[in-house]
Amino acid sequence: MQQQKLLSSRSLIVVAVLLAALALLPTMASRYYIYLVALMMVTGLLATSLNMVLGFGGMYQFNHAVFYGAGAYAAALLTVRGGFNPWWGYLLGPVMAAALSLLMGIICVRLSKLYFGMLQISLGSLVWAVVFRWYSFTGGDDGMHGVPSPRLIGSIDGAYYFVLIVTVVCLALMYLIVNSPFGRVFQSIRDNPERAEAIGVNVHLHQLIGLVIAGFFGGVAGTLFVTVEGSVFPDMLFWTLSLEIIIMCLLGGWFTFLGPMLGAGIVVSLRAVVGIYTDYWTMVLGIILMLLIFFLPEGVLGFFTARLGRGRAAGEGD
Amino acid sequence: MDLASHITLAALGQQLLVGLSRTTILFIVSSGLSLILGVLRIPNVSHGSLYMIGAFVTYSVATLIGGQTGFWVALAAAPVVVGLFSLAVERGIFCHLYEREHLMLLLFTFSLMLVLGDLVKLIWGSDYRSLSAPPMLQGSFSLAGMPFPRYNLFLLMIGPLVALGLWALTNKTKIGKIARAAAVDREMVAAMGINVSWVFAFVFCLGCLMAGLGGALVAPTQNITQGMDHTIIMEAFLIVIIGGLGNMWGALLGAAIFGITDSIGILVWPQFAIVFPYVAVTIVLIFRPKGLLKSTW
Amino acid sequence: MLSVQGLSKSFGPFLAVADANLEVARGEVVAVIGPNGAGKTTLFKLITGQLKPDGGRVLFKGQDIAGLSPHRVCRLGLSLSYQVVNIFSRMSVFENVQVAVLARRRQVLRLFTPAAHLAVDETWEILNSVGLAEKAAVTSGTLSHGDSKVLEMAIALGNRPELLIMDEPTAGMSPEETRAAMALIRRLNTEMGLTILFCEHDMELVFNLAQRIMVMRQGRTIAQGTCDEVRCDEKVQQAYLGGHDHA
Repeated sequence: MQQQKLLSSRSLIVVAVLLAALALLPTMASRYYIYLVALMMVTGLLATSLNMVLGFGGMYQFNHAVFYGAGAYAAALLTVRGGFNPWWGYLLGPVMAAALSLLMGIICVRLSKLYFGMLQISLGSLVWAVVFRWYSFTGGDDGMHGVPSPRLIGSIDGAYYFVLIVTVVCLALMYLIVNSPFGRVFQSIRDNPERAEAIGVNVHLHQLIGLVIAGFFGGVAGTLFVTVEGSVFPDMLFWTLSLEIIIMCLLGGWFTFLGPMLGAGIVVSLRAVVGIYTDYWTMVLGIILMLLIFFLPEGVLGFFTARLGRGRAAGEGD
Repeated sequence: MDLASHITLAALGQQLLVGLSRTTILFIVSSGLSLILGVLRIPNVSHGSLYMIGAFVTYSVATLIGGQTGFWVALAAAPVVVGLFSLAVERGIFCHLYEREHLMLLLFTFSLMLVLGDLVKLIWGSDYRSLSAPPMLQGSFSLAGMPFPRYNLFLLMIGPLVALGLWALTNKTKIGKIARAAAVDREMVAAMGINVSWVFAFVFCLGCLMAGLGGALVAPTQNITQGMDHTIIMEAFLIVIIGGLGNMWGALLGAAIFGITDSIGILVWPQFAIVFPYVAVTIVLIFRPKGLLKSTW
Repeated sequence: MLSVQGLSKSFGPFLAVADANLEVARGEVVAVIGPNGAGKTTLFKLITGQLKPDGGRVLFKGQDIAGLSPHRVCRLGLSLSYQVVNIFSRMSVFENVQVAVLARRRQVLRLFTPAAHLAVDETWEILNSVGLAEKAAVTSGTLSHGDSKVLEMAIALGNRPELLIMDEPTAGMSPEETRAAMALIRRLNTEMGLTILFCEHDMELVFNLAQRIMVMRQGRTIAQGTCDEVRCDEKVQQAYLGGHDHA
């Protein structure tokens, strides 16, 4: 019997070329573009982490930005208020985000669909409100600026390479997870939770683990944001950002692995490009999205993979 | 920190009344959202934008005409403008989307919110505006030794009127009864030979009109700014959920919980006042995830 | 192997199952028959844990499983193939079955092993035995109705159950597909030694396949026995077979 390979040789070549281009970027591009690409990778990682539960788990994770913010704030607070070495912040930020995700997950996981999403938004708003008003600790609505980075990655090039390496490692891990037995079963829960339970899957436990994984990688994205920007602010936890990330997943196609990455790239570059010509770039984004939902509900990548007759769900993005 | 030392009974009563007048606004906005959710099944994220538009229109009309009459004209005009606008949006866009998944509708209305937000910025600019209450509602009167703003008293009187009107409209009129029946069983109503599409248009328009009215009423009490749509829509959604989706009395109950915990929070621990309602909502949702009253879903 | 004793369940004022009794011995093929609304599907859902009974006992291999959650019941070796097609529609046929095999092997929490290397042979074995191997790569949501019913059965087999419960396995199938399904069910019983409990409206199929039959009416067991015993039972003739058409 044939053995399926994790990556086809053709997609391996594409990935290798893409990686080489990204690795060489700092030698060719200006500071601004390096920064922009780093931001794309951070946002893409965030969207991909959301898609673990949204696209592959079918869970209405409406407040994913909270874990992004939690990772970022945990890293910044440990460094600035706790006086820890920034590396400790980077290490513990995602862990704290995962812990928050576990806590919120335990409360929400027994609900489904819209009710799950709303309880999560409510809990997330609670976290946001605390961060927003706790001036003495989190800096309140001003956020915190000038969070120090380790000297090794203090320069823009250093930060870029750090973001690149961490993003690639995280994407690889998530790709493994999506294609692992865990990922397969998670997709079966998305398609049909009742049947998944009937074939012997502990659905709620599985979903809870999925939430923790998504929260962890969301937290990694948050700490990478601190590396790039050196600051954190409460808008990182706000529900509008959460919906924006969902939009990125939709834009790229949420039944594909790399779709959210693509969607994040589109949104970030749109903001940068359209932002040059007009202050009203969100209007442009909104109109594009409305057209997209009207005409292409499977997303850009989803649309093209379906066209190519390879519209299979199982994370075959290449 | 001295948390509770300055709380007297009079202050508590005063804050309760303030909370209840806040409840009026929240109820008006969230009952509209709840109506649309219950009957049309659309989680309309752009509801908050309509509230913001209502507030800006009120400001423009009131300052254009000026004086006592200006405010009253604006109060009538804003909901009408918002209602007509939403009717156009419903006929143009939403009536083609009823069969989509909730998540898609949510994202679609979120996109609409982004567009409307920038539209407001385009028309009114990004500065904040403020509008004073009409002369007869300015100032405050004394209540057990504590000052209580006249405008809040006005809100306290408007609230029950709106609730009563909405109740009469949905329970006593033919179209209201049809709408309630359609909320429970769409196919059956359609099978009775009623044009469900226009009933839906009416309900959508009515719900959005409530958002406009809420925006108009809130205009003299706070700065009218970009971003007021983000706050209100989150609050309105949570209110609708804790009350029970599509249940008008649930919206009233939810709004009261939200408004009162908020005002008590201001009294007890001003710095973290905005946290209080979210704590209340979370507690309700943990124990009653489908809301306090019966949902129409 | 399975013993249902005095099981009952009501939905509000409606008594769906009032007093159901059933015995299934290892290696048997047993059919449950009865008019529409007799409570057959409810009975199956009560046995597999999807509904919690109001009263009565369900003994499986001597253990009372009434009220256990579905995934626990399944792990004891009892799986259900549904009446309405209930598959994982965005996944391939192969993955549909593989997921069930993985669930049985308790490998579902492995995070970093590629699923492509796990449970592959066993999944192919099942696909071959039910005749779906050629369609392994097809997205299951696009299968024909007959094929999805077979896949439905294949998913249940993925759990390698000792007792397979099938709720109207041939509902909606063409005569040709029905004949194939019948052969398959018989083979599962004789070759793989599976104990099978099913319900069906097609009397020809019932009397062909089943060794014993339980008859339900209005939520109650009114007769139980071999095909001939049931055929001759007065109550059954009166309530079910008599006067009505047999189809």
